[in-house]
Amino acid sequence: MKLFLVFAGTLAFAQDWTSYGKNDLGWRYSELDQINTQTVARLAPQWMYQTNTPGKNETTPLVFDGMMYVTGPSNNAWALDAVTGRPIWSYKKALPANVNLCCGQVNRGFARRGTALYKVNLEGTLVALDAKSGAVRWESTLEDYKKGYSATSAPLVVKNLVVTGMAGAEYGTRGFIDAYDADTGKRAWRVYTVAEGGPSWSADSWKRGGGSTWITGTYDPSLNLIYWGTGNPGPDMDGQGRLGDNLYTCSLIAIDADTGKIKWHFQFTPHDLHDWDAIGDPVLTDLVMEGRPVKAVIQANRNGFFYALDRTNGKVLVAKAYTRVTWADGIGPDGRPVPIAGQDPTEEGNRTCPGMAGGHNWQATAYSPMTGLYYFTSSERCMLFYKTKQEFKEGKWYQASTVGRDEPGNGRIDAIDPKTGKLAWYFETVTSPTGGVLATAGGLVFSGDAEGYLIALDAKTGKPLWRFQTGGTVIAPPISYALNGRQYIAVAAGQTMITFSLPKP
Amino acid sequence: MCSAQNTTPAEAGRWTFRILCAPCHGIRADGGRGPDLTLGTYNAGDQDADLYRVISRGVPGTEMAGYAGRVTDDEIRQLVAYIRSVGHAQAAVPGNSAAGEQIFWNKGGCGQCHRVGTKGSSLGPDLTRVGRQRSLAYLTASLLKPDADITPGYATITVVTRDGKKIVGVERNFDNFSAQFVDLSGKYYSFLREDVTSMTREPRSLMPSTYGKLLSEAEVQDLLAYLNSLRGAR
Repeated sequence: MKLFLVFAGTLAFAQDWTSYGKNDLGWRYSELDQINTQTVARLAPQWMYQTNTPGKNETTPLVFDGMMYVTGPSNNAWALDAVTGRPIWSYKKALPANVNLCCGQVNRGFARRGTALYKVNLEGTLVALDAKSGAVRWESTLEDYKKGYSATSAPLVVKNLVVTGMAGAEYGTRGFIDAYDADTGKRAWRVYTVAEGGPSWSADSWKRGGGSTWITGTYDPSLNLIYWGTGNPGPDMDGQGRLGDNLYTCSLIAIDADTGKIKWHFQFTPHDLHDWDAIGDPVLTDLVMEGRPVKAVIQANRNGFFYALDRTNGKVLVAKAYTRVTWADGIGPDGRPVPIAGQDPTEEGNRTCPGMAGGHNWQATAYSPMTGLYYFTSSERCMLFYKTKQEFKEGKWYQASTVGRDEPGNGRIDAIDPKTGKLAWYFETVTSPTGGVLATAGGLVFSGDAEGYLIALDAKTGKPLWRFQTGGTVIAPPISYALNGRQYIAVAAGQTMITFSLPKP
Repeated sequence: MCSAQNTTPAEAGRWTFRILCAPCHGIRADGGRGPDLTLGTYNAGDQDADLYRVISRGVPGTEMAGYAGRVTDDEIRQLVAYIRSVGHAQAAVPGNSAAGEQIFWNKGGCGQCHRVGTKGSSLGPDLTRVGRQRSLAYLTASLLKPDADITPGYATITVVTRDGKKIVGVERNFDNFSAQFVDLSGKYYSFLREDVTSMTREPRSLMPSTYGKLLSEAEVQDLLAYLNSLRGAR
């Protein structure tokens, strides 16, 4: 409690939640500890806000200046009073007809700089709003939605820039990451995630090579590098028309924040055929390995392996499977997978583990400096992968593939030691997990599940300490904030935003 | 690349089907999460225009989305052609449906767990429209080998209580912290995981796997004929 009061009284960053990953490094770690292993049993709902907006709610809310800023499906957003949940303003933009979306009309949250909020709209635009009123300050178009481009992820503010990814690799697009001037909306730079021509793309396949960038990256101010994961090459499961490694798809790229130039890249899955986007949060943490301090970037990749890379140069430090993997016999010292033959999708269907959604997909992950552990949800699941014929038509679905019906799969919330990739503990779940993860200085890990529970686990042991049935599937990650001396946990569940706190003393 | 010149509409439709439709309707159109489309009869109507309408606009209130914005009119017509090419009026079912109905309610005891219309029990899946939803091959497999494919939500739950009692039943809900299920006598149970010794869900059926022995070959055919005739109220 004492520690909490010190934080609450002096450090706004501890009380607020002002970016997708909580800090630039993407930790999703709250320094608040009023809700802790001793008190969490008394955690109770404080308010709910019904958005009355159908669709999947994947948002990370931001909280500052007493307000909570929530984005929702279908180009909606709300500003809510963070103590009472009462709506203060709302934002809605009509969606043009026929926007191509692979996976629903979703949005994953705002970015903030000063009094401005930034979000993407589904039709591939970036909009700046006034945080006080919701008024639009500017709106810039990333790329033409009629060509298959769209946008769903929370932007990342780096100095005076708003950096954003895009979506649309299933529609024959060419992926990129854009940076816009935060005040004017003018584009400062663009980095394509599909290299133009060269040996890694046969013929002109790079022009529709995919590599979308649909989860927010992270930023290391000391190196001035932005880290961003890239998605699958297109078409997904038919690689005959795109021979080669298909750089920089299924990769992590490190970008100079000022110039937009790629400093290094690391490709997790060369010439991917299973839709294993490398878009999991690139979490930046400093590790001590064999007595030597290392600036690392860590990720639980969709291809089934956990990776720790040296974030100054992209060299692999650790690569270890965290779920059932049938396509590769480990990762070589150069970081390339050692492939197992006969795992490519076929016309008749070929069963491979992990399945299309991977061992860990996009769901937010967390790193706790208190335990030194990395937390994420994982699936134990295999799938039948089918290759199929498809002609490219601009702006049309271009996946050349399908997968078999879902096999029942269970899952886990995992805690991994990033220095070794070894599992410290896991909490088994009866279905594949849907939600993201939050770690706190109260020694807790929070996550929501497919059946609607918000769960608190002991961050050191994985023991469940508290739960609440929200009544809606939890896809969004929980966050934490403090106001007037009280710590809150907040999460979107179903169509509802819910906050929890300890009873008033 | 296939070209329109040397490809039949049904063949062109097949490739589109694999991409857009197969995730729900199966790679061979024989069903999965979505209905079996090889039966030659469809929930929303049996004319080409009905199929076109459903593909184009979807079916409100179901998971069937409209595809008008994603595919062209020609592609929808190709999909209809493909569905027509795999849909076949079913081979005449050899059994006697009326005799099968008697077996269903008497010797087979099927109504102790299944419902048809307002009659029977709701322990297992409702069979009121099963002849429309499932192929004869699927029904045969389900009758003789009940574990072959479990309808989601009907797995077997086993709970061992703290005092060592084992209770088995059909799933009503199963999550990370609790299980709700109904035993074969129809009794409803709800347990919290923390209150019991163990709680498991298995992808097997509580339906007896002995119908191949209990019933003669002719009786099996009669029962299948009855199940195949169940097309709901419409």
